[in-house]
Amino acid sequence: MADSHEGVEFEFDGKTIRARAGQTVSGALHAEGEHILSRSFKYHRPRGLLCASGRCPNCLCTVNGTPNVRICTVPAEEGLVVKTQNAWPRVKFDLLSIFDRLHKFMPVGFYYKMMYKPRWMWPVWEKFIRRIAGLGNVDRRTGGEATYDKLNLFCDVAVVGGGWAGLSAAREAARAGMSVTLIDDQPELGGHLRFDPDLADAGLADVIRDVRENPAIQVWDRATVFGLYEGNYLGIQRGNRMIRLRAREVIVTTGGWERPLVFENNDLPGVLLASAAQRLLHLDHCTFEGDAVVVTDNAQGYRVARQLAAAGTNIAAIVDVRENPPASEFQVIKERTLARARGARHVTGAVVGRFSGQPQSTIPCRWIIQAVGFTPANSLLYQNGCKLRHDEARDHGIVKTYARGTQSAGTVNGHHDPAAAALDGRCAGLAAAAALRPNDSGLSASRDELAAKLAAWPAGEMTSRHYVSPAQAKKKFVCLCEDVTEKDVCDAIAEGYSNIETLKRYSTVSMGPCQGKMCQGACIAICARENQQSIEQTGVTTSRPPEQPLPLGLLAGRALHFSLVRRTPMHDWHLRNGATMMDAGNWKRPQVYTTVEQEYEAVRGRAGLVDVSTLGKIELRGRDVVKFLEFIYPNRFENLAVGRVRYGVICDDAGILLDDGTIARLDTERFFLTTTTGNADAIDSWFRSWLAGKPGLDVRLTNISGSYAAMNLAGPRSRDILRKLTDADVSTAAMPYLAARQCDVAGVPAIILRVGFVGELGYEIHVPSQFGVHIWEAIIEAGKEFSLVPFGVEAQRLLRLEKKHLLPGVDTDALSNPLEADLPWIVKLDKPDFVGQRSLARASARGPRNRLVGFRISGDQIPQPPALIMHEGKLGGRVTSCSFSPAAGCAVGLAWVPAAISHNGDRIQIQVDGQTIVAVVQDEPFYDPPGEKLKS
Amino acid sequence: MSFQLDCPNCGIRPVWEFHFGGPSRKRPEPDDPAVTERQWAEYLYNRPNTCGEQTEWWYHRSACKTWFLARRDTRTDQVLETRLFAPQEAAGG
Ligand SMILES: [Zn+2]
Repeated sequence: MADSHEGVEFEFDGKTIRARAGQTVSGALHAEGEHILSRSFKYHRPRGLLCASGRCPNCLCTVNGTPNVRICTVPAEEGLVVKTQNAWPRVKFDLLSIFDRLHKFMPVGFYYKMMYKPRWMWPVWEKFIRRIAGLGNVDRRTGGEATYDKLNLFCDVAVVGGGWAGLSAAREAARAGMSVTLIDDQPELGGHLRFDPDLADAGLADVIRDVRENPAIQVWDRATVFGLYEGNYLGIQRGNRMIRLRAREVIVTTGGWERPLVFENNDLPGVLLASAAQRLLHLDHCTFEGDAVVVTDNAQGYRVARQLAAAGTNIAAIVDVRENPPASEFQVIKERTLARARGARHVTGAVVGRFSGQPQSTIPCRWIIQAVGFTPANSLLYQNGCKLRHDEARDHGIVKTYARGTQSAGTVNGHHDPAAAALDGRCAGLAAAAALRPNDSGLSASRDELAAKLAAWPAGEMTSRHYVSPAQAKKKFVCLCEDVTEKDVCDAIAEGYSNIETLKRYSTVSMGPCQGKMCQGACIAICARENQQSIEQTGVTTSRPPEQPLPLGLLAGRALHFSLVRRTPMHDWHLRNGATMMDAGNWKRPQVYTTVEQEYEAVRGRAGLVDVSTLGKIELRGRDVVKFLEFIYPNRFENLAVGRVRYGVICDDAGILLDDGTIARLDTERFFLTTTTGNADAIDSWFRSWLAGKPGLDVRLTNISGSYAAMNLAGPRSRDILRKLTDADVSTAAMPYLAARQCDVAGVPAIILRVGFVGELGYEIHVPSQFGVHIWEAIIEAGKEFSLVPFGVEAQRLLRLEKKHLLPGVDTDALSNPLEADLPWIVKLDKPDFVGQRSLARASARGPRNRLVGFRISGDQIPQPPALIMHEGKLGGRVTSCSFSPAAGCAVGLAWVPAAISHNGDRIQIQVDGQTIVAVVQDEPFYDPPGEKLKS
Repeated sequence: MSFQLDCPNCGIRPVWEFHFGGPSRKRPEPDDPAVTERQWAEYLYNRPNTCGEQTEWWYHRSACKTWFLARRDTRTDQVLETRLFAPQEAAGG
């Protein structure tokens, strides 16, 4: 027998298995007589193939190191290493199956009841539970090797499901001129007709070819739609790739999940769904040797019996639930159902009984095939916000109202007849096209015509409400993932968890890998029965993505949400010259080149150069810029002359300080603004938000932050250096403090602002970024004779601290207004309405509660922010900046303190390491209080 | 949150290209003596938490930097209309 298997070899728990080409791993194992594929989650009962379609948890194995792979969906390939999981020592002989005997000690809600106390035991319990109850182990050596990617696509119409309905819908939508994407989770299109030859007609192959070859239809097979999000955004898994598809219309043709019947020992290997048997017969070319019993209430049971018989199986009996089953060549036992499967590790017999219970009879067999109907695979519809109702007559969830841009067709709508499903699919395809082209009355007319035809279609076969065998027993499994029995569900309801949602959480039914696909129908039926409610009243649990379990790598995989790194034009120069770089928002900035002390000394004594390209830069042009600035800023701008620059802060309407910067008037209608590093986009957006509400204003705004390189040349010798590089008059008279000039520097056009953030004579020089390196190097070269050095952010911060210049966001927070932040002079309350005016006026009238003050400490301790400040035994404030100041000869800093102790000479108490140290408030800057150096 | 907005400048784009600017509200005239402190505080600190349709500001931060108004149903995230602020409107920023 084995010799006839040409093809491949793989390993299953150390054993070599031969497989035919095209067979699945599970099919090959079935052919080799390997029927125990896993052990159950809680009781470690043997489990075998049930659904063979990637839904149920029974065939979860570790494949090539990846845990929890459903081997019924994996094509057999040469060299695969398949290992069973959740068993010890192995799946055929699992010592942990002792739990099966202990089930009465593991009642429903076991974890909640048994392990919550004593609390100190929980870590022990947790280890124990994780060891015995886990689903597979991640192989840390190989687990990280896979590469996951993302692909973004869009289309007019997305069709989910490649069965008759989906194929028809796709074809119809494409014919109407739509771009269509068809997604199907199987390797071939055709849905269940692929493995039900009695249903498939010759037309199927033509339709599939048509769809495959249609240039307007993109087909993704082996792809699972795991989520349908708002705006018709589909999450799709295809191998290691996540496809994010945006569709204008979505047609859900996901068919149904065949549901198992709940009877005693219904989880025994050898108990299969009818569709699983059909898949094994027709796709894997397997056989079922021995006797089989088919339990059914519909025509599918008879079809599968005939197909099994044709493949050599002896049909021992068809157990038909119905009163009047159709005539059949097989022995039909009517008005009976399955009470129990006999057998220890595989089925040896089927116990058949009446609905009333007794009497029962046993039919020896190896296979029990169940064909008791389908649960519609409608979770995507629920996810997208469609409203469904339960149709009692057809025992089927039917869409009551569709979410925008959503259609459904086929089995999911209750059309089991392939011809009706195809018709329904065409309707949906036309409806989607009509929704996208509302003016094309032909589309909706054709749709209505088809819909009328469908309405007149002979009523399809009804499935009975046969979910649960009536025989009383203990091991009637409702949920195979979590080992929840009918008795567990009933006990949970008796304990008060009678609502379907609380029942789910308490009993964990439907919370396992199948996410309710196998168990939801039966669970709802039991819940309805116990509560004496209808299915409709019982409702369903909320359906959330993912529809199918996903590897986390898929969600985390490579995508375009990288984090931006911004480098200034002089970045490489900094690196070449020994700078230690630091992060400032997205930017990289030189923190220090040599030492803070050396750089500080150079700036105070000679000259220094710092890269300030990271400043936000915004250009404003237009007739109404002054008007706009007067409105946005608390200070005055109408009197800002051309060629002058002014410091300003921006507040919101609550008077909270958002940012600071300089505003230079380069021309009558042209202004050049700077913002703090990293704030350019926020301030750009802030300005635009106010402009949007004032559509008449002539203000044009351009964020030119990245287009300009900027550097600050500062120190007593900076004028001497600049003079060497420009023909412009840089004397104090011609270019005084707060002058703004446009002139050539080192042969390139520059904007020069005479501002003094660090408290020295200084020039902030802005040039187009392509000239950044050129001018930087020119200044360094020209500065050599004056011993100019480059300096970094650390020295800059110390230099500004000595001048008591605050840093927004460092020395201020979301409660700071400029009145309290040591900038009361900047707020011109007598101006007409400006942003923050009313709140600032109120704050001004009330007087400050806290103030940002400078302080000095005579000792050698340097409190680090946010060291706390105590006042009258209570928390009063905090330190925001503090450093040793060479100019002051002691530690100096900025701190928020209660207004009562915010005056020059007041003593404040700072907590450092549990000790209290005393600092003295100082109004004047710690360096050059009159500002003579700045203005020199 | 995966709905789309129709930027008046750029057309239909996914929501993550935009920045939400909050519901559009009229800014009380700050120097109008009829505006009480309570009304001003309401404007500053309270946001309507509308269940249903509301008109709100959106900023196309990843592209054209336009602030515009969108009428959205907060229950379904259906965007019913997008448009630029019209001069005759009196709503604040
Ligand atoms: Zn835009």
